Formats: sequence, C-alpha cells, structure tokens
Amino acid sequence: MPTDNDPDKALEGYLIDELKSVNAHVPRKRRSLNELLAMNDPHVLCSDGTEHHFRKKELAYLSEIIEQDESDLLLLPIILEVRSEHGDITIQSRHGIEAKVISKIIGMPLLFRDNSVKVFRSQINALRSVLKTTSQYVFI
Amino acid sequence: MATKIQIARPTKIELARLKRRHKLALRIQKIVKDRLSILVMEFIQMIKESARLRSRLYTEMAEAHTSFSMTAGYHGYETLKKELIGRDYAFKVHAGTRNVAGVKIPLFERVEEVSAGKDIHNPLDHSSHMEHTQALSQRCLETLVELAELQRSLELLGIEINKVKRINNALEYVVIPGLDVTIKYLNMKFEERDREEAARLKRVKLLIEQREAYAY
Repeated sequence: MPTDNDPDKALEGYLIDELKSVNAHVPRKRRSLNELLAMNDPHVLCSDGTEHHFRKKELAYLSEIIEQDESDLLLLPIILEVRSEHGDITIQSRHGIEAKVISKIIGMPLLFRDNSVKVFRSQINALRSVLKTTSQYVFI
Repeated sequence: MATKIQIARPTKIELARLKRRHKLALRIQKIVKDRLSILVMEFIQMIKESARLRSRLYTEMAEAHTSFSMTAGYHGYETLKKELIGRDYAFKVHAGTRNVAGVKIPLFERVEEVSAGKDIHNPLDHSSHMEHTQALSQRCLETLVELAELQRSLELLGIEINKVKRINNALEYVVIPGLDVTIKYLNMKFEERDREEAARLKRVKLLIEQREAYAY
C-alpha cells in the first residue's frame, strides 16, 4: 500500500544528502603545527578523500607568532564554526593558542570563554586574508 | 502561489512525515544560505586580491620591459640572448589543492631552490643591468603564478556560487512553501473531520435519548 510518492522520496533523499555533503570537506584528523612544519608537502586528508594542502609561508608565520612549546598543541586547520542561529563564528580553542593567534592577526583582544572564541563576520575577512589555507569553515 | 505536494491519503502519519521533512528543509536552507554568504565573501576577497595582483603584474612587466630594452641597448640582443641561455635557473612550482567552504581550488607555491652555481657567463658581457633584468623577469613569473591560481579559483567559486544560489532559491521559494501549504491543507482536513465526528456523535446521542424517552 503506497503511502509516499516517488518525487517526495527523492526530495527527502536529496535533503539528507545535502546535509551530509555540506561538511564533507572537513579534515578527518588535524595535524599539529610541528608535524606540518616537518613535512615536505604539508597536507591533511579530508572526509571526502581529497587532500587539503597548506602554504609553507603561513605555517612559518604561525610558528613565529606562537611559542615553541605551543607548536605541538596548535592543531591545523583552525576550524571556524558557522552557526545559522547566531551572526558570529565560533572557534574551539582548548588551550587558548587559537585565541592567541586570532587575536594577534585581527589586532584586538578576544573573549576566551568555555574553551571557545567568538569572532564576528566583519572580522573574518582580516583573519582569512592571512590564514587562507590554515583555516576552514564548518557549517552547523 | 505554492503548490500542494501530492499525497496518497490524508492521514496523521503523512502529516507527521511532512512536518519532519519541513523541519529538515528549514535546517538545510539556513545552512545553505550561510554557505552562500561565506562563498560570496571569499569570492569578493579574491576579486580584490586579483585586481591588486594584476596591477602589480602590469607595473612589474613594464619595469622588466624597460630594463630589458636598456640591457639590450647596452650589451646588444645577441649578448643578452647568450647570457639568458647560459644562466642555470630552475623555476619550480608545487601544485596542490585546498578547500574553501567545500570548493576544491588549486594551490600553487613556488619551491625555493638554490642554484647549483653552474651559471655560465662571460664576465665581460655581464653587468648589473643583466642581473636587474633577470631579477625583474623572475618577479613577473612569480606574480603570474599567483595570478593563475587566483583566476582558476575565481572560476570554480563562481560555478559553485551559482549552484548553491539555485539550491537556496529552490528550498526557500518552492520546497518549503509547498510543504507549508500541504501541512496547512492536512490540518484543515483533520479539523473538518473532527467537527463532522463531533456533530455525528451529538446526533447519535440525541437519537439514543429520544429512543429511551419513548421506551418509558
């Protein structure tokens, strides 16, 4: 006994696929700055099987602005969480190193609370112009 | 005017399914809209950078051309050609890909290589003009590589933006309004059914009461 039409089933299937594919570019496992600096071809593997490469200049810049012992704790790429409900972007920062890096690049102090930092959309341009390959968006 | 989605039978299960689908569609539409705004922001930033790079390239090429002409005038074309062939210069570019909000775009990075010191040139034919021309040509080449990366990235981002815009519009103006209309239609149907049921029950109750009254 049919209770659903084929076009509707296709629509539901499409909606679920769209939700899966919108964050397919997120890396499976992030690497620390030290690990990436040691690599000849610094990259990470994404969930969809593609590779995301980093610019060596950006990695060198990051190693200049943080301490030597913090290089192992800074995981790259820095994930910028875009939430639909709020107008800002959240960055998870367990040890506060990401907060330090972003604060340095934007040139203003940031509020570090609950292991996360909030950045406004107007500040994202300044951040992305410096961290082109070492930051990535995730849509939640 | 949003069109009602065709449903086999107006049942409560169908209504529950539609409400779930509506919630999912709304959630996805918000995410797609965010993604579109991020893609457009990246696109605009790349356009500004591309314009800046082009301007820099034109300046550098003009300088290189002037220097080239001066060197050719000083040494002669044949000497200049000989010097350029004799120079051992490797220009290597590392090509990879990077991801911007789900769009795979190229990444070109110049690989710095130390010359093996096998430059063959006649010191009498060589001068600072030559060195200056070579340095300017190298800079032009580097800028060209950066510009090539940006140009291809802009094309890919543009294609993705068009796709995402169509998806967003389809969800916002066709799918979600269609679901809204169908849910409203089903709710109205159920209310009508409940009203009819209530009216029928009242009549039956009245009939029973009348029958009992006659019995006594």
